[in-house]
Amino acid sequence: MKKKIRIAVPNKGRIKQPTMDALARAGITILEEERTYVSKTSDPRYEAIFARANDIPVYVHYGAVDLGVTGHDLILEREADVLELLDLNFGNATLVVAVPEKSQIKTVTDVPALTRVATEFPNITRKYFERLGKQVEVLEVSGTAELAPKLGLAQMIVDITSSGETLRKNKLRIIGTILESTCRLACNKIAYRTFEKEISELQTKLQGEV
Amino acid sequence: MFKFQDFDGKLLALRAEMTAPVARIVTTRMQSTPEPIRLFYVNNVFRYSQSYLKREREFCQAGVELVGFNTPEADAEILALLVSSLRQVGLDDVRIDLGHASLLKDLLNAAGLTDQQKTSVQGLLACRDSVGLKKFMDQNSFPSSLRDVFIELSSCRRLSEVSSVSLSGSKYDKVNKQIQSLTALQEALKAYGMADVVFFDFSLTKKIEYYTGMVFEASVPNLGLPIGSGGRYDNFIEKFGNLKLPSIGFALEIGKLLQALTAQGFEIQNNTKTKVIVTSKLGKAAVEAVTALREAGAIASLEVTKRSLEKTIEYGKLTEADYVVCVDSSLDASITVYDIKNAASQTVEFKTFLRTIGGQCK
Repeated sequence: MKKKIRIAVPNKGRIKQPTMDALARAGITILEEERTYVSKTSDPRYEAIFARANDIPVYVHYGAVDLGVTGHDLILEREADVLELLDLNFGNATLVVAVPEKSQIKTVTDVPALTRVATEFPNITRKYFERLGKQVEVLEVSGTAELAPKLGLAQMIVDITSSGETLRKNKLRIIGTILESTCRLACNKIAYRTFEKEISELQTKLQGEV
Repeated sequence: MFKFQDFDGKLLALRAEMTAPVARIVTTRMQSTPEPIRLFYVNNVFRYSQSYLKREREFCQAGVELVGFNTPEADAEILALLVSSLRQVGLDDVRIDLGHASLLKDLLNAAGLTDQQKTSVQGLLACRDSVGLKKFMDQNSFPSSLRDVFIELSSCRRLSEVSSVSLSGSKYDKVNKQIQSLTALQEALKAYGMADVVFFDFSLTKKIEYYTGMVFEASVPNLGLPIGSGGRYDNFIEKFGNLKLPSIGFALEIGKLLQALTAQGFEIQNNTKTKVIVTSKLGKAAVEAVTALREAGAIASLEVTKRSLEKTIEYGKLTEADYVVCVDSSLDASITVYDIKNAASQTVEFKTFLRTIGGQCK
């Protein structure tokens, strides 16, 4: 029997619902609840699993799943070697460098050596400052980086923002933009070959959507 | 790469792949060997990676190189050898995807793009984002004569489809020649009956810089990562000396082959040799027994301690031995055999025991 095509969908957060909606419009409605390990879909060729958005790039890289919907920022952060078949044009987010409003640092070029940066994106952050020729100390946190400056943990943060609301609330000021990200349809390189017909069909259907 | 300094301050490195060592040997030790030269290797290579996705740093590779000629027949021979090696290992549904290292480079140059634009196009091609690619070409006044070629080549999945692509104008002679070489390869592969397992992938470019012609990857549907790869390198060997030797080769990753086999439901057999521990109160016959058992193909070891039989059996269990054999002063007397897995013992002739594990008594 031919193996089913496995697609990973974010299990929570603001990109979960748009992902499920986009797939449904392309003919893949997820039929079972997310508590089960593998969910059936309305298209018998596909099955779905729910996973954390930041793990999806790794799943796709290794072929644990054939396809996955996740942010471009997360694909870069996890350094996953995957195909990004389609920009789904939702989940817009900007990865920015921010400092406390009162900070002397006005632009990223002002950042003094050995400044400590708190972030959930240590790989992107490290590469960004390396490109600028700045030596910084990267402190990896797994959430609420915006609190780090208040707690004296770090002098700046690198974090995702969409409206800027959280940053304003925490009295942080943006001094640089690292990248603009959206959700992508990520695909394992070997699966793209194995399921050539099915995947290009899905790509076309989703293209009509976006 | 892993680099070190030795005591005189000379720089040393661990080999990251085997093609460079092969090139060195061909130039320095095989100058009088007639071409083509066909070489193989099975060796470990070392790669440093900061990425936590690619943490392995030592790999075992098995590979081949065909040195001296650039012909479609040489290319086809190497690709066919790759496919048949993988089939021989026991893998099903093997396929190869190949691209052309300089075809993409030359087309990008012909389009007159800036370096940054080239990187963007290569990125979009590598991602297989066709919508993004078209959008980029529209926004960056991409030459219209090349626009269709890029779109067509990136949608070609089979070698046979590539032959329909061609460009008019003498400045595209080189590009057209490269496309023709892919068609010639397709023909040469037919002789091996392998034209249908070799596919085309325009976006496939390898990170290794020395490739000049086709580059390829082998894969099976059950594993999400390539199991082997290779390519043509026509200007590499001359860097090691004065010999200009166009060459082609591939390397398989042994670890990935095992993963692929497991993914296809193949049970990897552990050592099937019988493991026997020989114990005796009196030395000489025990040594004879060990020798006879080894000659019979078993893994035999002598109990070199004075511990009790129970302790020896316990040791046998922990080291996954099959039998503990207790011999008397001569092998003509019968022996006691403890079958560890079945926790049983019996008294038999040594000859009989030797026969049960597949050997003959002299």
